[in-house]
Amino acid sequence: MRRELGMFVALVLLCFGLWATNHDFLGASNVINTTRQISMLGIFAIGISFVIITGGIDLSIGSVIGLTGVLIAKLSGQFHPENPASGGLGHSLWLGITVALAVAALIGLVQGLLITRLNLQPFIVTLGGMLLLRGVSQTIVRGGTLSLGDVPLARFANGGLFGSEGSPLLPYPVLVLALVAVIAAYLLHFTVFGRYVYAIGGNRDAAEYSGIPVRRVETLTYVISAFSGGVAGVCYASYIGQMSQQVGIAYELYAIAAAVLGGVSLRGGEGTVLGSIIGSCIMRVIDNGINMFQWVYRDENGGRRIFRLDNNWTFIIIGAVILVAVVLDQAAHLIQAKRRTRRAGALAKE
Amino acid sequence: MASLAEAAPPLLEMRGIRKRFPGVVALDGVSLHLRRGEVLALTGENGAGKSTLIKVLGGAHLPDEGEIRVDGRGVRFQSVRDAKDAGIALIHQELMLAPNLDVAGNVFLGNEDRSFGLLSPLRRRAMRRAAAELLLRVGLAHPPETRLSSLTVGEMQMVEIAKALALRARIIIMDEPTSSLTAGESQKLFQIIRQLRSEGIAIVYISHRMEEVLDLADRVTVLRDGRHVGDLQRDEATHEKIVALMVGRELSANYFPPRPEKAAGDVVLEVDDLLVPGAPAPVSFNAARGEIVGFAGLVGSGRTELMQALFGANPALAGSMKLEGRSFLPRRTSDAIRRGVYLAPEDRKRHGLVLPMTVAQNTSLPAIDSYSRFGLLDRGRERRVAEAEVARFRVKTPSVLQPVVNLSGGNQQKVVLGKWLAMAPKVLILDEPTRGIDVGAKAEIYRHMAELAAEGLTILMVSSEMQEVLGMSDRVVVMRERRIAGVLPRAGLSAERVAQLMTGGAEERKSA
Repeated sequence: MRRELGMFVALVLLCFGLWATNHDFLGASNVINTTRQISMLGIFAIGISFVIITGGIDLSIGSVIGLTGVLIAKLSGQFHPENPASGGLGHSLWLGITVALAVAALIGLVQGLLITRLNLQPFIVTLGGMLLLRGVSQTIVRGGTLSLGDVPLARFANGGLFGSEGSPLLPYPVLVLALVAVIAAYLLHFTVFGRYVYAIGGNRDAAEYSGIPVRRVETLTYVISAFSGGVAGVCYASYIGQMSQQVGIAYELYAIAAAVLGGVSLRGGEGTVLGSIIGSCIMRVIDNGINMFQWVYRDENGGRRIFRLDNNWTFIIIGAVILVAVVLDQAAHLIQAKRRTRRAGALAKE
Repeated sequence: MASLAEAAPPLLEMRGIRKRFPGVVALDGVSLHLRRGEVLALTGENGAGKSTLIKVLGGAHLPDEGEIRVDGRGVRFQSVRDAKDAGIALIHQELMLAPNLDVAGNVFLGNEDRSFGLLSPLRRRAMRRAAAELLLRVGLAHPPETRLSSLTVGEMQMVEIAKALALRARIIIMDEPTSSLTAGESQKLFQIIRQLRSEGIAIVYISHRMEEVLDLADRVTVLRDGRHVGDLQRDEATHEKIVALMVGRELSANYFPPRPEKAAGDVVLEVDDLLVPGAPAPVSFNAARGEIVGFAGLVGSGRTELMQALFGANPALAGSMKLEGRSFLPRRTSDAIRRGVYLAPEDRKRHGLVLPMTVAQNTSLPAIDSYSRFGLLDRGRERRVAEAEVARFRVKTPSVLQPVVNLSGGNQQKVVLGKWLAMAPKVLILDEPTRGIDVGAKAEIYRHMAELAAEGLTILMVSSEMQEVLGMSDRVVVMRERRIAGVLPRAGLSAERVAQLMTGGAEERKSA
């Protein structure tokens, strides 16, 4: 929990700093918008954390997000009799969502089985999945866009509870995240399954020798990861409305970054649901902060000037933040290891 | 009337266990029996078959032939799980624990209440309560919610025992449990073992350390070359008797090239109070020109670590070395290579060769700079040098452009030797030079080693094969528990003397 606490303090300081430069940062509309973004990222950052805690990786989750949205738009979008190829199939929304989520879970199952039964590297299997699924999305949208049309789902991501119509205080994606987080936290922290996820990441051999069904547990983590991508995909489809082949590109990297910032270790065996949520907050606040940050100063003539960050800096800053975070993490590990060696050495002298 | 206890079948009986691996017979009809509340020590040289035997017992290997009976009933273990269900727990030398979980979690790992499958709620509180009791039994004073990684190795060992007790194990197998424990921790372990014995639990104790075996065991079973060679009861077991059973074989005389007795040349390598990371005390020795110095010791006695320090792969913490009279303290391997000190590592495939690369590429690798001409690789020279080495060692390969992965173990080892000899070494360190190599190739490697020594090369040879140590060395440095237990000259060298020092007989220190 120390790591989570540290990142939470960093998050609060970050928010405070941004508010100090621009009071609009904590304005209602910006807070609600950022919360919505955090929620959608948090959903699949939690999912991918299961995989990372076992010591694996899932690069396909961004493509799963894109494919889910495309499938919903294709299945449930409006049917155009004059041009059937470019529109949807006009099925019910429930069917679209159900099929899309089932496909997402199935993708996770197939990848998980390939990794655990054929002993393939998670990196390469999910890299293949990432490219393949992206290609499937492209084929379905035929290089253009698919509109979700005027369905109830289109109002879901932007809607919410409380507040006035059009500017709800509690966006629905926050509720989805809350539900996902509660289920995930139960699974990871309060069941035998969660214990095994940690044990596999901590010492795979020990897990095998303790009679843990290692392969089944690992496969399930890939199903969870892909399914969480599906749930996030439903939210993004609703949020964007027009599904193109671009939706979800590089999101797996955002999710991995969010998880790592929140204390999920790529070495395996470490991380919490809460940490992944805090990591998602940091990622999105930085993203948003680059837009919101401003520095008011006076030039030599005494004129009032405002300095803003160039949007092109986004990746530079996020990349730097991740690198600093992992360097600090590694430093902490080394210090701990050294302390242990010294303790063992002192015992040996007794 | 015979008492019931005598009539009851032994707790465990293994009969005629045979296990073959490709190329070797690891177990050749081993039998073993065990009674309730008995501590059985299992000893034997490296490679005698102890590990394979306990893996068969622990369910990790299926025997090719033979039968196992528990309480008189025949069993057939298909998996570790099966053996556990029969009450057999195996504690590995490398501890099988998850460092990121707490102690209670480790004690019950794989043994949680799974009445609702994987989705069963984790009963933390119940597990902690139960773990606390087990920890009390094994004398571990930490609360069960302590994170495992904050324990010492000795404490982790106790967690392993608690884990075995949680399974209600009736037979606990311990593989070299004291190999990384301090003296105090070992004493505590022995106390626990005695207590378990009094509770009726049978213990199979594998150890190389004679004083422990003599101290603890009710009976000693000795294995040699995959065979059961003797059983000694507590009152008849002595260090000498055990060693005689362990070694007990004639050395084939003409297997090794003649090594002429000669006056020692000038000292090439002087090692003075060198502190190797992890070692309890500094070591000193020296090696002369044209000398083969054998390093004998048990697995884990610190030989490999010492060699890695000499080679700069694991730099020494303190002390000094001199190479040909000049100070020599490698901080990285390139320092040692520049001075002409080379290491052919124990694990050829991992540290010695790049398997997919060709013989020529492997040969040029350590001195790749010297093969460049105008910044380009001189492939012609690379090939010629490799061909010369292939000819010298008579490596069986269709051409030097063959990837080494296609070569046999013996030929791969020759490529490793050739790679270093192409660079005119002064000191060559060979860590287990003939491991996994067939007899014919072995004899050839020995002949080459003798020739190289005759040409003035200094060779440090780490070997776990007694015959090899006796047959090849001009002097033998015996290591035990990361110290030098003694240095024996060639004259009067015997397997018994080396084995005694290796396993902790009388300390003997000749001028090194």
